[in-house]
Amino acid sequence: MTTYLIRRVLGIIPVLLGVTFLVFAINRIVPSNPAVAILGDKGTVESQRQLAEELGLNKPVFFDVEGYRSSGRFGQLFDSQYFKYMGELLTGNLGKSFMTRAPVTDSLKVRFPATMELALFSILIGSTLGIVLGVVAALRRGTWVDTGMLFIAVSGVSFPVFWTAIVLIYLFSVQLGWFPPAGRLNVTSTLQPVTGLFVLDTLLRGQYKLFLDSLHHLVLPAFALGTHAMALIMRMTRSSMLDVLRRDYVRTAASKGVPPLVVVMKHAFRNALVPVVTVMGLSFGSLLSGAILVEAIFNWPGVGSWIFNAITQRDYPVIQGGVLFVAAVFIVLNMLVDLSYVLIDPRIRY
Amino acid sequence: MRRFLRNRSGVIGLAIVLFFTVATLLAPVLRPYNAGTDRNLAKRLKPPSAEHVLGTDELGRDVLTRVWHGGRVSLSVSLLVVGFSAVLGTALGVLAAIMRGWLDLTLSWFVDILLAFPGILLAIAIVAALGANLTNALIAISIMGIPGYYRVMRSAVIGLRDLEFVQAAEALGSSKFRVAVKHLLPNALSPLIVQVTLAIGRTVLTIASLGFLGLGAQPPTPEWGLMIKAGYSQFLTAPWLSIAPGFAIYLAVLGFNMLGDAIRDHFDPQLRT
Amino acid sequence: MKRVLLSLLVAFGLLGSAFAQQPGSTLVVGMSILPNTIDSGDANDSNAIAVTRQIVERLVELAPGNEGLVPGLASSWEANADSTEWTFHLLQGVRFHDGTPFNAEAVKFSLDRWNDAANPYHFGAEGKAYVGWRNLFGGFLGDGSAVSEVVVDDEYTVTLKLTRSISFLPSLLAGGYFGFDSPAAVMAAGANYGTPSVGSVGTGPYRFERWEEGSRVVLTANTEYRDGPPPTETVVFVGVSDPTARLAQLKAGALDIAAAISPSDLDSVLSDPNLELVRGEGGLNTSYLAMHQNQKPMDDVRVRQAVAYAVDRVAIVDAFYAGQAVAAEDIIPDSLWGHADGVGAYPYDPAKARELLTEAGYPNGFDTELWYRNSGLEPVIAEAIASYLADVGIRAALKTEDWAAFLADYMAGNFPLYTLGWNADFADPDTFIYTFYGPQAVRRFGWNAPEVVTLTQEARQVPGQAERAALYAQVVTAAHEAMPVLPLAHQSQFFVVRKGVTGLVPNPLGAFPVLAGTSKAQ
Repeated sequence: MTTYLIRRVLGIIPVLLGVTFLVFAINRIVPSNPAVAILGDKGTVESQRQLAEELGLNKPVFFDVEGYRSSGRFGQLFDSQYFKYMGELLTGNLGKSFMTRAPVTDSLKVRFPATMELALFSILIGSTLGIVLGVVAALRRGTWVDTGMLFIAVSGVSFPVFWTAIVLIYLFSVQLGWFPPAGRLNVTSTLQPVTGLFVLDTLLRGQYKLFLDSLHHLVLPAFALGTHAMALIMRMTRSSMLDVLRRDYVRTAASKGVPPLVVVMKHAFRNALVPVVTVMGLSFGSLLSGAILVEAIFNWPGVGSWIFNAITQRDYPVIQGGVLFVAAVFIVLNMLVDLSYVLIDPRIRY
Repeated sequence: MRRFLRNRSGVIGLAIVLFFTVATLLAPVLRPYNAGTDRNLAKRLKPPSAEHVLGTDELGRDVLTRVWHGGRVSLSVSLLVVGFSAVLGTALGVLAAIMRGWLDLTLSWFVDILLAFPGILLAIAIVAALGANLTNALIAISIMGIPGYYRVMRSAVIGLRDLEFVQAAEALGSSKFRVAVKHLLPNALSPLIVQVTLAIGRTVLTIASLGFLGLGAQPPTPEWGLMIKAGYSQFLTAPWLSIAPGFAIYLAVLGFNMLGDAIRDHFDPQLRT
Repeated sequence: MKRVLLSLLVAFGLLGSAFAQQPGSTLVVGMSILPNTIDSGDANDSNAIAVTRQIVERLVELAPGNEGLVPGLASSWEANADSTEWTFHLLQGVRFHDGTPFNAEAVKFSLDRWNDAANPYHFGAEGKAYVGWRNLFGGFLGDGSAVSEVVVDDEYTVTLKLTRSISFLPSLLAGGYFGFDSPAAVMAAGANYGTPSVGSVGTGPYRFERWEEGSRVVLTANTEYRDGPPPTETVVFVGVSDPTARLAQLKAGALDIAAAISPSDLDSVLSDPNLELVRGEGGLNTSYLAMHQNQKPMDDVRVRQAVAYAVDRVAIVDAFYAGQAVAAEDIIPDSLWGHADGVGAYPYDPAKARELLTEAGYPNGFDTELWYRNSGLEPVIAEAIASYLADVGIRAALKTEDWAAFLADYMAGNFPLYTLGWNADFADPDTFIYTFYGPQAVRRFGWNAPEVVTLTQEARQVPGQAERAALYAQVVTAAHEAMPVLPLAHQSQFFVVRKGVTGLVPNPLGAFPVLAGTSKAQ
């Protein structure tokens, strides 16, 4: 177990190295230049060249082969954008955005908790609905109720998330006025962040009205994002419930005259939750990608829309820092899910 | 087969998929309008009528015709994407499993790198670099799909590799590749089929997402995501513009997902009821 | 369970009424994106300038609602005979938000900081690009800049010495880029001046309060403003990149003012009793279809003329702009001078277009590409143009890519046909003529006409409007004949606001108005 753990953790390093390499490569497939994007329509050839130099983009991407050939110094080979970036990375510096000139780490501190908060609440909404649907379907298996529940769950994963988002805004914000259409807090409210998770911060600061306000802002985006997780969790709940319901101890309890609802709640449901928890972990990846669209539509200041905008603006430091960070989180999360399998099911060995 | 037909949602899914297949094949024959070029600026944004069952769009084109043709685009691109990544992913996965050693390590490392990009992010980055069009979106989504097949096939083949009949074949002097093609691949097919059916629905959604972001199909291609993007700003005044393609996406994805679920249940007795 | 869900819904429903309406002294403005920076000299895009305009002020200001100029921080100005030296007389007794005085030294500080790449407060190496300065003044000191020296004559008088004659210098300085910052604040913040953690300090009606990354920029009223405090206490700028989401938020009451709404969305605005369209007259902008002569067969003038005849610009403007634009006659908007008498637009005449194509050797048309930007109206207009071209046999494949790539490609001459728009930097025909037909014409359109370029340069040197108009008439006539670019439309400036918002006057240059007199009724 310990060796497995060490191997998994060490295994992260080459993958992250590969991610930095791939991000650099993808960014620079096309000769398009951020200096052109920054200077815009009015930029001249000369001003673009000047600015590219100021931003350090005139250096070779990976290896300075020409410089090595002409100087003969081996070190010259590594005088490139990539190795400069990696050097800075080792000191924890992710650079500054080309567009805002703000340090990438500063933006991450604000944006990552925002996406986390959205993802957590999506999981919460998705799993609550998914578990309810799954339990009901399992108890009524083979009937039309079962098919109906499955239909609802599969529907959740079949709607395009950007479409659901805009329909929700028009229905619940514009027409009914029940929920705010955007943002994390009322525009006039202020909150001194602690963790960056506003739901938590409002409680820590004792601002209970703002706590309700932040929850209120979460409902629509979290629901739009959560429907996909719902389908997965509903299926898992249903099948593990069916599995548990067949077990002897549940049957025994039922035959002893324990009311059916109590049997379900006390025995079956609790046992069925175990695989569901791992599925929740796995849903995070699809949540992050759905977040790109949902964040843009709900004006949610998270990492998804941030990286997307950076990609279209060729804001290299933000793309590199943002993708690297998200990838790292994602890898660690996947590892934890794998480890939880080992812990939960002793039959699995590595 | 009879067992499959008893699965209600699987039958519904199959019906929907068949409907879309037939409808898209017949698309050029059935509607009197041309999805790409028929414009009539005088008749733009007209609500549904007898002449235009789902109304007209911002250029005065028949929305039903465009949604119908959109099915051709979405389904054919999805099939290409799934086919492309299934073939590549399977080939690489089987290769890694039978060759083991450094090749397995390298391929698995590369797949792990691809998997570290959550969801659609990798596709967005690739399309942004290569240029936004349907072909590049197809390439990007295909690359995004490779790791799934690679992993499934690699572990399926590793699982089979040590079974007696495979070892017997190897002992009798068959080459590794012969064993792979004749014995391993056919036996690893069921996880592949499950993976493929479920992937089609997901791919339809991904293509639409890229189209919506402006990174997929370009006008005047009648692509569903693109149509939603063009129409949803008029949600209150001309709701048919975005509801029609949105519902088409929903129905197609629903069909493939239900069919895929049913096939999975069929192959995986653990999940069956 | 059901009851719990229901009561939750009701509870949220009750809360719902709380978010919609803010106190009357707050204005929420929805932009397409939050600023990159609010260091005014470094601020480049219209969203950033919308914010900096409230905080810092310029020497010369745009008159509200028209293209004229009015005094700003300078009460008057004059030039020498050949317009190479401009003297500005400053307002007295004005203070920055941090209490430091505004005077000639402060003006010199900012001008030197923008103009001189070697200035200790320039911060070029830290990424400040001063795009506005580079583009309008030609570069930095000793490297193309039109400004050679800034001289402090006395405490309230400052003179700009130029390397070349510029007759419209006050117009340049009225552009959104050149607002004056407090030197003390710039020195204290260093390269971080204008970033979210620091903000900026000026003399304007609003002072910087805070900037929440990715969410909003909050400004509060400058109670000591020389014309009296503005009627609104707090202005909040939020960025909503999706135009439909922006409109939805306006409809839901989360915004008071929405900028950059597409004309195609106006149907749903006009049908909403809570919203109002605030419209300005005579927008100084031109959208166009360019034909790049590096790409065959656009090098043939008959083909370019055929394209001009084939596209029904009037029908396109009628269909898509919801009455907010006029079909363009030439590249200069109607409200400016500089047109040529008797030179009108090409009429819609597909038969004539086919004739010209046959003459050019393309009786069956040809295949080509039409590139467009994927934002606002541009996709539908490109589609409409392509279908008009298809009618005469020109099969144009529609293509797009993100803005960064688009810019690089169109400047490299990679697009045979592309649509774009141009917003005037200042209210003078020069911003159109020089941009389209000046030295950049080779790059933009592959149009290599040295004699026309010379005319545009000559027009910059002569001081009188009549002489300049005569030169411009020649340029416009030559361009009409050679047809490097087909002007499509001039769009009026407008905002969509919630009912009750008053005192918002759009400017024809598209600059976001100063909100000094804007308020919302309770």
